[in-house]
Amino acid sequence: MWSRIAYAFRETWASFRRNLTLTAAAVVTSAISLLLVGTTFLIQRGFDNLLVRWKGDVQMIVFVASDAAPEQIAYIEGIIKSQPAVIDLDKLKYLDKAASFEEAKVIFTGDPTLLSLLTPETIPTQFKVVPLTADAALVRSLAEQYRGLPKVEGVSLAEDEFQIISTLSGFVRTVTIVMSVVLLGVAVALIWNTIRTAMFARRREIEVMKLVGATNWFIRVPFMLEGLLQGLIGGVASCGGLWALNRAWTTGVAGFKPGTGISALVVPGSYVNGVMVMLLVIGALAGAIGSGIAASRFLDV
Amino acid sequence: MIRLDNVTKVYGTDSVAVRDVSFDIAKGDFVFLVGPSGSGKSTLLRLMNRQERPERGDVWIAGRNINELGDSRVPYLRRGMGNVFQDYKLLSNKTVFENVAFALEVIGKPRHVIRQQVPAVLELVGLEDKHDRLPDQLSGGEQQRVSIARAFVNRPLILLADEPTGNLDPATGEGIMQLLDSINRSGTTVVMASHDHRIVNMMRKRVIQLDRGVLVRDQERGVYE
Repeated sequence: MWSRIAYAFRETWASFRRNLTLTAAAVVTSAISLLLVGTTFLIQRGFDNLLVRWKGDVQMIVFVASDAAPEQIAYIEGIIKSQPAVIDLDKLKYLDKAASFEEAKVIFTGDPTLLSLLTPETIPTQFKVVPLTADAALVRSLAEQYRGLPKVEGVSLAEDEFQIISTLSGFVRTVTIVMSVVLLGVAVALIWNTIRTAMFARRREIEVMKLVGATNWFIRVPFMLEGLLQGLIGGVASCGGLWALNRAWTTGVAGFKPGTGISALVVPGSYVNGVMVMLLVIGALAGAIGSGIAASRFLDV
Repeated sequence: MIRLDNVTKVYGTDSVAVRDVSFDIAKGDFVFLVGPSGSGKSTLLRLMNRQERPERGDVWIAGRNINELGDSRVPYLRRGMGNVFQDYKLLSNKTVFENVAFALEVIGKPRHVIRQQVPAVLELVGLEDKHDRLPDQLSGGEQQRVSIARAFVNRPLILLADEPTGNLDPATGEGIMQLLDSINRSGTTVVMASHDHRIVNMMRKRVIQLDRGVLVRDQERGVYE
């Protein structure tokens, strides 16, 4: 068993050295495509952060001052609920201080200064309002009405903040996903081609191996290992790139004026780590699959 | 040991390589397959090690119908066979020792077995002092000896040789035949395709003659004709 494992690694290493140029091309392509896949995830997460407060068709948010008494909050709620024909009462949600603070932690990941100023005690609470009507003018007039209520700090409307971001998010998502899928396909094809070339260079050896009774798996494994390593190295490189990119972005965002909302686009470190692990797995899988297909295809000697 | 029952092999749609061939080869036999180029000798050898499958008929090896063998079992069939070729099929980047060891390595034999069996077989073929040479540094006859050592190192029951003397001068060819003869005497069944009259006439072994894919003669202690 040990001799077989040693053989597989020895052959993988030898093949790696033999096809250095092709291997480098496959690794670089998979690194770039995986970096793009990773960036797609980070961008999406950033947009999700921006949009988190508008989740579930919320079109209007009524911010209530943190020092509002329970009866004042109940009064505001009563006013909102007084128009059941216009407001979806089932979806009306009140976020208390704790829930609002949790949400703020997501939105202001990239703005630690602002986040440090917020505490569960000082944060405004929110009513998330889902209107039944599609009439924007009506919603706007409702917002005006709520703004005049006591202890209401402000009213945000989705159409002001949300629409552009939402459209932009959809566009960026489509473009980056398409590009990363195409590039990932190219990476698999390049790995496939590298393995095919490696197998062609060693066709005589493979023929002898088959004639002396080597199993197909014995022949295939070093090639699959080679492809897997190419994908994995590409994955590691893409992780490095993603880390650097995210760091540069986070640092860059910190330089923005507070309150611009850009800070929401910063992604938490734990999420970036998760994406990196995913990139390594995708890289290794793409490499192993590409080379596995190539190895099977060219084993008929 | 080897039995062919009405075997027909067609390449493409209408190129018949072997037509309705039947014969039996007993354990320990030495058999020449003779005939001109294109008569089907190599095809018969390829049918015996399952490089090819017949369109009709059955090929039996050691009591098993190898046409019914699943693809995953073919490597195990081949471990009981040695193959020798006219062009040696040696790996040019490996030394003599490594070429022979390769046959054991790829079927998962442990290192201590390899270290023991390879020198023994190199001694048998008379190349013990050239174990660290590359194939390019050897003569044709020596390269063929390495190829035979590789085919025999696993002590197969059957040795299939396709024109093993085809690229060699007569004297060297005779040496190779003596080697194959001694391997045969140790109990290995040898099937050798050849169109070398001199060799076949010299050995006086069983001769199976083919002509355009058809078996035309099967003679004990035969000559080429």
